[in-house]
Amino acid sequence: MSEISQSIPPHDPHYAPHGDAHDHGHDAVHLPAPTAWPFLMALGVTLIFAALVTSAWLGVLGGALTLVSIVGWFRNVLPHEAHEDIPVPLEIMSYVPTLEKVARIEVSEEHRAQFPLETFPVSSGILGGILGGIAMVIPAEIYGVLRYHSIWYVVNLLGGAGVGGWTNPTIAQMSHFQLGAFVTANIIQGATTLLVGILYGAMLPIWPKRPILLGGIIAPVLWTGLLHSMLGLVNPFFASHIDWASFAASQVIFGLVAGYVVKKRGRLKRLAAVPLAVRLGVETPGLHPTDQDPSVGTPGLHHPGDDEHTGGGEG
Amino acid sequence: MGEGTLPVVPGIASGADAGAGYAPSRGTYLETIHSWITTVDHKKLGIMYIVYALIFLLVAGSEALLMRIQLAVPNNTFLDPQTFNRMFTMHGTTMVFLVGMMILFGFGNYLIPLMIGARDMAFPRLNAFSFWISAFGGLLLYYSFIGGSGLPGTGTAPDVGWFAYAPLTERAFSPGHTIDYWTVALLASGIGSIGTAINILATVFCMRTKGMTLMRIPLLPWLYATTSFLVLVAVSPLTAAQVMLMIDRYLGGHFFDTQAGGSAILWAHFFWIFGHPEVYVLVMPAFAFANEIIPVFSRKAVFGYPAMVAASVGIGFLSLGVWAHHMFTIGMTSVGNAFFTLSTMLVGVPTGIKIFNWLATIWGGKVRFQTPMLFSIGFLFQFLIAGLTGIMLSVSAWNWQLHNSYFVVAHFHYVLVGAILFMIFAAIYYWYPKMTGRMLSERLGKWHFWLMLIGFHMTFDLMHFPGLMGMPRWIYTYDASRGWGTLNLLVSIGGFIQAIATLILVYNMVRSYFRGALAGPDPWDAWTLEWSTASPPPSYNFAVEPVVASRRPLWDIKHPEDPDSAFE
Repeated sequence: MSEISQSIPPHDPHYAPHGDAHDHGHDAVHLPAPTAWPFLMALGVTLIFAALVTSAWLGVLGGALTLVSIVGWFRNVLPHEAHEDIPVPLEIMSYVPTLEKVARIEVSEEHRAQFPLETFPVSSGILGGILGGIAMVIPAEIYGVLRYHSIWYVVNLLGGAGVGGWTNPTIAQMSHFQLGAFVTANIIQGATTLLVGILYGAMLPIWPKRPILLGGIIAPVLWTGLLHSMLGLVNPFFASHIDWASFAASQVIFGLVAGYVVKKRGRLKRLAAVPLAVRLGVETPGLHPTDQDPSVGTPGLHHPGDDEHTGGGEG
Repeated sequence: MGEGTLPVVPGIASGADAGAGYAPSRGTYLETIHSWITTVDHKKLGIMYIVYALIFLLVAGSEALLMRIQLAVPNNTFLDPQTFNRMFTMHGTTMVFLVGMMILFGFGNYLIPLMIGARDMAFPRLNAFSFWISAFGGLLLYYSFIGGSGLPGTGTAPDVGWFAYAPLTERAFSPGHTIDYWTVALLASGIGSIGTAINILATVFCMRTKGMTLMRIPLLPWLYATTSFLVLVAVSPLTAAQVMLMIDRYLGGHFFDTQAGGSAILWAHFFWIFGHPEVYVLVMPAFAFANEIIPVFSRKAVFGYPAMVAASVGIGFLSLGVWAHHMFTIGMTSVGNAFFTLSTMLVGVPTGIKIFNWLATIWGGKVRFQTPMLFSIGFLFQFLIAGLTGIMLSVSAWNWQLHNSYFVVAHFHYVLVGAILFMIFAAIYYWYPKMTGRMLSERLGKWHFWLMLIGFHMTFDLMHFPGLMGMPRWIYTYDASRGWGTLNLLVSIGGFIQAIATLILVYNMVRSYFRGALAGPDPWDAWTLEWSTASPPPSYNFAVEPVVASRRPLWDIKHPEDPDSAFE
C-alpha cells in the first residue's frame, strides 16, 4: 500500500487560481462575499404570502422588506460584484489507494455468453419481427373466420380498447370493422412484434444450441402459458374471449418465422471494439490487421483480449 | 505506484495535515449564526438543506406513526377523524416538499460544484434565496397548526390530502384558511425549487472545469440536470393551478367550482402533470446516488455510462407523458386509458436498463459491504419490486380494482421509502465524511440498515394485502369484521421499527460529529473530484482548478500506470 502526496506551494509558477486571484499574489481565491439580502428578500416574499392568510400589515412589512432587499441585492452586485479573498495556504493532499494493481477480467474467446463474437444485424431483427408478425395473423384469422365468419373478430378482440364506448361488445359488434380497433390493433401488433423481433436478433446468438427450437417454440409456449395465467387479471374480457389453441399457434408461428428470418440473414462480426475508421469503412494501409497477416483475424473481428480493460476492476 | 506526469492536476485542498480538512475559525455563537444566515457558499447551503429536511423527516415520520397507532387496531379512537385527515395531509405534503425535495437539493447543492470542479454554483446569491424561501415556505405550512382556521372546532392544518382535489378545496367545502396555508406555502416553496433548478442547470452546463466534457461529468450531475429540467416543467402547472384556486376562493373565479361550470378534473390534470414528474424529481437523485456509490463499493467503473445517461434523460422525457395513470378511475376515454397504460409501461424500459447496468456494475466486482453499499443493495431490490407493482397498476383494468386502496399506498411507499429514502441514507453514510471530516460509525450504521430493512418490509410488504382485501386509503378506522386488524397491527409495528432505525441514524450523526474517526480526504478510495479535496472542503473547494481527462479523475491520479484517460 502506498500513498500519493502532492504539495503545491502558494507561489508555484504553475499555480493558477480561479478568476483574478493573480492580482493578489497567487495566494488568495476570489469568492462571492456573504450577504444577508437573499435571506431578507426570501423573508419579505414569504411575509407577503403569509399576509394573504393572516394580516395585511404583515404584507406591508413583507413588501417593504422585499423592496429594500431588492435594492440591497442590486447594490451588492452592481457596478461590481462584492467579493472576499480567501487565502490559500500550503497545499498537501494524500491519496491512499487500497490496491495497487488493476485486475483484468480474463475471458476465454469461446465464452460467448459474456462476449458474443458475432451478432445479427439489427435489420434482421426488424425484418424477422415484421414477417413473423404477418405470419402469426394467419392462424388467428383462420380461427376468426371458421368460428365467427369474420376477419374482423380477432382485430377487434386485440384492439377493442381503441373503440370508445365499448363495454362488453357483442359478437355481432366484434364481427364488423371498427376503425378505432383496427388502428389500435395495428399499433399493438406492430410495436410488439417489432420489439420482440429485435429481441430475437439480439438474443439468438447468445443461445448456444438450437436457437430456432428455443426462440421458435419454447419461448412462445412459455410466453403463452404466462399470459394464460395472468390475462384474466389484466383484461378479463380479452381472456374470456380468446381461443388459446389458435393463440398459442400464432405465437409459435411468429417464433419460427422470426427466428428463421433472423438466422437466415447471417451473422456479423462484432465491430464495437475496432477503430471508428474501420467501422466507417475507411480503407487505409495498415488499418486492417489482415492486410499484413491473414492469420491474425478477420477485419472487425472482436478479440476479447483486445478490450479487456474493464474500467479498473480490482481483484 | 508509478511515477510520471499525471494526466490530471488534482484539486488540492488547504491544510498542512491532509487528514485534518478545512477547519473554519470558530467565533461566538452570534457570529456563527450570522455566518450561516449570510452564506452564499453552496456547501453550507447544502448542509442547511439537508439538516432542515432531516428535522422535517422526524416531524413527518411522527405524523405517520400517529396514523399507524390509529390504524393498528379496529375501531380505534386514538385520533379524531379531523386530526387523522390533517396527519395524512401534512405527512404527504411534508415528505414530498420539505423532506424529499429539500434533502435532494441539499445533496445537489453540496456535490455538483465539487464533482464538476467548480468553486460554487452559477448563481450563489440566488442559491441562498432559493433555500431560504423554500425553508420559510415550510415554516409557513406548519404555522397553519397555530394560525389556521377552518370549520369551528375542526380547523388548523390542511386536511384535504397532499393532492388537494377539487372541489373539496373550494370555499363552500373548506372554509377558513387551512387550504390557503397549503397553497401559499407551496407557492413559496415552488419559487425556491425553480430557483434551484435554474441554478443546477446553469452550473452543470456552464461551470465545468477544464477537460470535463458532457460525457465525462459524473452521472450525478447528469441526473440532477435532468431532474432540474423536470422541476422547471412540472412546478409551473402546480403554481398555475394554485393561483387559479386562490382566484376561485377569493376573486369569484370558477375554474374548479363544479356547481358553476368549473371542472374538478381540470385540477386533477394540473396536479398530476406536476405530481407524476415530481415522483421522478425525487427518485432521479436517488438514482444519482446509486450511480456514485455502487461502482465505488464494487471496485468497478459504472457499467454502460452512455446508456445510463440516455436512460436517465429518457426517463425524464417519458415521465412527462404518464400523469393520467393517476386518474384511470376518474373516467377517461378508452383511448386515454390505453395511451397512459402504454406510456407508463414504456418507462419500464429505461428503468430496466438502469437496473441491469447497476447489476452489471456489481457483477464480477470486489464488493465491499459497508453501510452505503448495504443501503444501495436494499434500494436495488426494493426499487425493482416497486417498479413491478407500478407496472401492475399501470394496467387500467387492474388499477380500477385497486385505485385508492392500500395496495397503491404500499406501492408508492416502496418507491419513496424503499428506493428514495434508502438511497438518501446511503448518501448520508457515503458523503457525511466529506461534509464533516468524520466517519459515521459502521456498527451503528449496520444496526440502522438491518432495523430499517426489517421495519420497511414488515410495514410495506404487508401493507399490500389489506389493499388487495379492499382496504381504502385515508380511512380513519375500520370494523373488526373486515379482517384487516392483524395485518394493520403488524404494519404499525414495522413503522415503529423504522422509527427506531431512524433515531439510530440521528444518534450516529450527532455522536460522530464530535467523536467519529477522522475521515481524511478520500476514505472510500473513490474516483470523483469531490474526494480530491479535503474533508470538509475549504470554502473555495479547489485551490487549483482541476483539469480532468477521464470520467474518473481521481482514479487517474492514483493509477498513473493505468489511467482511464488512456481509454477515452
